[in-house]
Amino acid sequence: MGQTPTITIHVPGPLRTYCAGAAQLSISAHTVRAALEDLERSQSALYRNVCDETGTMRRHLNVFVNSDNVRDLNGLDTALRPGDVVTILPAVSGG
Amino acid sequence: MADRVILTIGTKKGVFVADAAKPRRSFALRGPFGPGVPVYSTLIDTRGAPRLYASSCNPFFGMKVLRSTDMGKSFKETKSAPAFPKEDGRALANIWGLEAGAGKKDLWCGVEPASLFRSHDGGDSWDLVPGISNHDHARKWQPGNGGLCLHTIIRDGNRVHVGISTGGHYLSEDGGETFRASNQGVGAGFAPDPYPEFGQCVHKIARHEDAPSRLYMQNHGGWADWTGPGGPRPDIGVLRSDDYGRSWRSIAKGLPSDFGFPIVVHPHDADTVYVMPLEPATRSCPDGAPAVWRSENGGESWSRLARGLPKKQSYFTVLRDAMDIDRLKAPAVYFGTTTGQLWIGREGGEHWDCLFDSLPPIHNVKVAVV
Repeated sequence: MGQTPTITIHVPGPLRTYCAGAAQLSISAHTVRAALEDLERSQSALYRNVCDETGTMRRHLNVFVNSDNVRDLNGLDTALRPGDVVTILPAVSGG
Repeated sequence: MADRVILTIGTKKGVFVADAAKPRRSFALRGPFGPGVPVYSTLIDTRGAPRLYASSCNPFFGMKVLRSTDMGKSFKETKSAPAFPKEDGRALANIWGLEAGAGKKDLWCGVEPASLFRSHDGGDSWDLVPGISNHDHARKWQPGNGGLCLHTIIRDGNRVHVGISTGGHYLSEDGGETFRASNQGVGAGFAPDPYPEFGQCVHKIARHEDAPSRLYMQNHGGWADWTGPGGPRPDIGVLRSDDYGRSWRSIAKGLPSDFGFPIVVHPHDADTVYVMPLEPATRSCPDGAPAVWRSENGGESWSRLARGLPKKQSYFTVLRDAMDIDRLKAPAVYFGTTTGQLWIGREGGEHWDCLFDSLPPIHNVKVAVV
């Protein structure tokens, strides 16, 4: 495995209060799962909003790598490349 | 000197706070706090400077506990919410009960999946209470329609009662270290055995502070016509205990239905108890005509209190924690509906007025005089 890619995590508005107001976080991770593990260490309050205490991602959240939902890729094991943007979004609710 | 009546109203879209001077002629409403997020539990902690608490059960981002130290003008998240240890394998799904503990900053919290947590610092940190959360029965409890929730916590010195739907009533007599199922006389309608050791769908338990041996229970009734194994189970829905919850007997005779959710005890008379009978199929009052029913003799007989309530075509539900009573000399009863009305029953429920008629669906109503 080569050098760990640096990616950007886009933080949705309601969660910025859990990471000192940051709209974006820069993280080095090979996969989405590794990015979340980094968040658990570096931004534990933010992480708790994204994953429950078992480490499972919350049911009504979606994670996109660039414009693709990780469900349509390789789930949390989706590989990341330098410059990728990981976006965490609440699932659509309403009509 | 206590001079304000304060209500916390947990709704589908956040928590509201209403307050009034003692005559309770009109209430001022504030909120919603934690807007858009369901609130299933609130607590008005009157020990010392009043503190208000609300569970904020966010389906997207998880559970939070909100706290107000300015009488509900603002709320902030506590530093943490209850959480299972990572190795436990369970994940918090909802917060159903918040109660004051013995110490000045002690809190107890009942959650889904049915478990109990304690805080010693006003809700900033939480510890699992293993005696009930890891009870031998815990993995055998089943979720009811509202989920598998520990919703009722009643403390009396070293005695701790908890109500679990569906798990039943559990009693600790050592301050919460150990618990045992205590359901003698509590029926269940959805199992072949009408009186199992545990597994009953207890909806709510209430007691009078000065008469701790007397408890009342609203259980999941509505099984009088059951024809399957075990036979019919009439009147299992409304119960009374006179021995600290060790055994229970029916007091449902005289009610139009033994199904319902809330049960509330008069603050000055342990023999006076209120329920809201509902049709089990619709979870609404019989004939679409809402009424609170009151017994003034410990459940031996009941009277209907409906003056001022709609006389027909009302099909709301009043949920387990959506009824309470204040502690003034002539106390008022309050209930909130799933259709967003908050009602006050003055003079102990003799006559009813709608305080607010267009709130979000109401899960929880608590009242205190502060």
